[in-house]
Amino acid sequence: MLPEEEEEEGNGKTRFFSINDNVDLLAEILGRLDGRSLAVAACVCSLWSAVSRRESVWEAVCLRHASYGNGAAAAATVTSTRSVVAALGGYRRLYRLCIGPALDRLAAGGGGRVPPEASSARHLSLSLSLSLFSIDCYERLGVGVGVGVGVGVGAAAAAAGGRQQKPASLLFLSKPVDVS
Amino acid sequence: MKREHPGSGVLGGGDWYGGAVEGEGQEKGKAMMGVGAEDEDVDELLAALGYKVRSSDMADVAQKLEQAEMAMGNGIAASDDALLSHLAADTVHYNPSDISTWVDNILSELNAPPPPLPPPPPPPRFDDSSSLDRQNRLLELPLVTRRAPAEVYDPKPAPAPPAARATGRFAFGSDSQLDVAPSPRDSKRIKFCSSPPSSSSSTTDAATSAASPLPVVVVDPQEAGIRLVHALLACAEAVQQENLKASDTLVKQISVLAASQGGAMRKVAGYFAEALARRIYRRLPRGGAGSSFDSVAFDDMLHMHFYESCPYLKFAHFTANQAILEAFAGCRRVHVIDFGMRQGLQWPALLQALALRPGGPPSFRLTGIGPPQPDNSDALQEVGWKLAQLAETIRVDFHYRGFVATSLADLEPYMLLGQDTDDRVGADDVDEPEAVAVNSVLELHQLLARPGSLEKVLRTVRAVRPRIVTVVEQEANHNAGTFQERFTEALHYYSTMFDSLEGGAAAAAAADSAGGRDLTMSEVYLGRQICNVVAHEGADRTERHETLAQWRGRMTSAGFESAPIGSNAFKQASMLLALFAGGDGYRVEEREGCLTLGWHTRPLIAASAWRVAAG
Repeated sequence: MLPEEEEEEGNGKTRFFSINDNVDLLAEILGRLDGRSLAVAACVCSLWSAVSRRESVWEAVCLRHASYGNGAAAAATVTSTRSVVAALGGYRRLYRLCIGPALDRLAAGGGGRVPPEASSARHLSLSLSLSLFSIDCYERLGVGVGVGVGVGVGAAAAAAGGRQQKPASLLFLSKPVDVS
Repeated sequence: MKREHPGSGVLGGGDWYGGAVEGEGQEKGKAMMGVGAEDEDVDELLAALGYKVRSSDMADVAQKLEQAEMAMGNGIAASDDALLSHLAADTVHYNPSDISTWVDNILSELNAPPPPLPPPPPPPRFDDSSSLDRQNRLLELPLVTRRAPAEVYDPKPAPAPPAARATGRFAFGSDSQLDVAPSPRDSKRIKFCSSPPSSSSSTTDAATSAASPLPVVVVDPQEAGIRLVHALLACAEAVQQENLKASDTLVKQISVLAASQGGAMRKVAGYFAEALARRIYRRLPRGGAGSSFDSVAFDDMLHMHFYESCPYLKFAHFTANQAILEAFAGCRRVHVIDFGMRQGLQWPALLQALALRPGGPPSFRLTGIGPPQPDNSDALQEVGWKLAQLAETIRVDFHYRGFVATSLADLEPYMLLGQDTDDRVGADDVDEPEAVAVNSVLELHQLLARPGSLEKVLRTVRAVRPRIVTVVEQEANHNAGTFQERFTEALHYYSTMFDSLEGGAAAAAAADSAGGRDLTMSEVYLGRQICNVVAHEGADRTERHETLAQWRGRMTSAGFESAPIGSNAFKQASMLLALFAGGDGYRVEEREGCLTLGWHTRPLIAASAWRVAAG
């Protein structure tokens, strides 16, 4: 990362290049990070924070780490994927809820026991992530619905003691606390 | 009452058979507790072992044993190695008929310098200590809880793998005598060849002093686990033979033994013991498991927790969705009939997949079938509304219809096919017929409770002319044979299931209270199934699981042929499992076009797809 320097105006001798003046370039670069680094980058300054919240950046991150099985289909459906993902909550949320934990889990799990047919599992399937994401989104719908209606999910929550049932279908991805 | 014949079989009088076990042979011991004991005041349970101990003396004997153990413990501290090695090598208990004096001997030996032991009375001891060491086992103990060597209970339908494992582990080969193991450390252990007590085992053990109310009893958990399994099987047999007294005794014994276990085994044993008790005392809950009205919502909640805590249902949904997706390729109008709607967790993923398929989403109709709700709330409609919301956000044309039916057999084809064209705006695409898929996840087996229901439902399904029928069922045979066979099969199945829950959940969500709750609720969910399998009969017994092979037979005779599930589904399933912590134990297998998910070597759930056979 280049140190922040004021661009010389008019002096002509040396012009310093600041990445902050080229946010598109910044977005392009940030889009090549992995999720964790991107989140760290978001803490640098408000500009970087704003840039790293762009959906396009997270889309790039997601698509880089998760892919459709066959490339041909991928090209055709990027736009439709975009609309679906946006409807479900956005790429940043997708990464946070599904892809990020899944990648962590896959990395932690190690490759030894993964059967050969599933070696492509290391490249997490986007369709699988989207499926899980959609289920989570659906459950969240229930949380909002349950208030005052008291049936279905709400009834289950009532049975559980009157609290709203938190969507938990993605809990299995959550990283357990490492106390070792 | 010492038996020593190597090869004899069951005693008609129903005593415990304390027989010698050959290296490869297994013996059948019938457990008929309390029947045929010679002396009335002799403690029955120990009598079965061959120990004659008066019930009145039990307290005394137990106390002496404890003293003996402590003395041995002190012996180590006193570094009396000679004593210990002497005890290890030479001390043999030959006459189990008199425990009291034998323990007295031990005590006096330990408290005084040991004279060489008198040569034992006959019969000669089968010395397989070398084989024991080889197989890393230690026999012991001076404790009453130590069992007679290796009686092996051979349950009738004994699945070959567990029996084989048992053979390898428990070839003790000694007759009904005890080797006194030297060190008190070892007296706390029996090391079997890597046999976790939670894995179901068909080998057994006779003695238990768990019935003793004294706190001095030290029960080795592993050994108690073996005994526990044996007691469960024995109780099932007693129940089948309607031996009320014996089964009553055994049920209590099971409860006590179960308390000494930990983890999955304790829970499984607890549920099975409760189910047995219900069966014995006829304290059945009204109706089948979950059929009582006030528990439908509870059922759904348990189902949700089960969904979240382990991959079986997710596997089922994703595999079925994949098969449906592939069958719907190219269709502009699709209709899915779900036999068990519940919370509709299967369908968001299918909606999303349809939205993203090449060529755009079709027009999607969903018919959900559910049981009647007690409080007149329309859960089906709620679910439909939520799905409609989701479909709207991802822009899939969605129509929903819910049907309330007590039993699937109440459905008629016209209900499902009654395509209300009034639902559709404009009839421009009426000329293209709908592609129909029928989906049944863990629903069909309940129909087997009433004869004829399944056939009727399959006829209805056929009449709807589906492109694909996805069926997911438990991979177990809990429907055929005698009660005892069913019980044994269920014990194996649910032990494996609970093991997988422990293995998965412990790794994943132990620190998470929600995960812990998931685990508990899943266990309750499975416990209700156990209760239904064991305690109910007739039309109430709705958990009539059958294996994939049996379902295959039923489907083909109803006019369906197998539609192989493609490799995409397999890959997806494998990927899904890779995401589950503790997923090492899960195995996806492909079997003649159907996928099964299991824990280690045991398949637990099977997903298959069918289409109407041509001609």
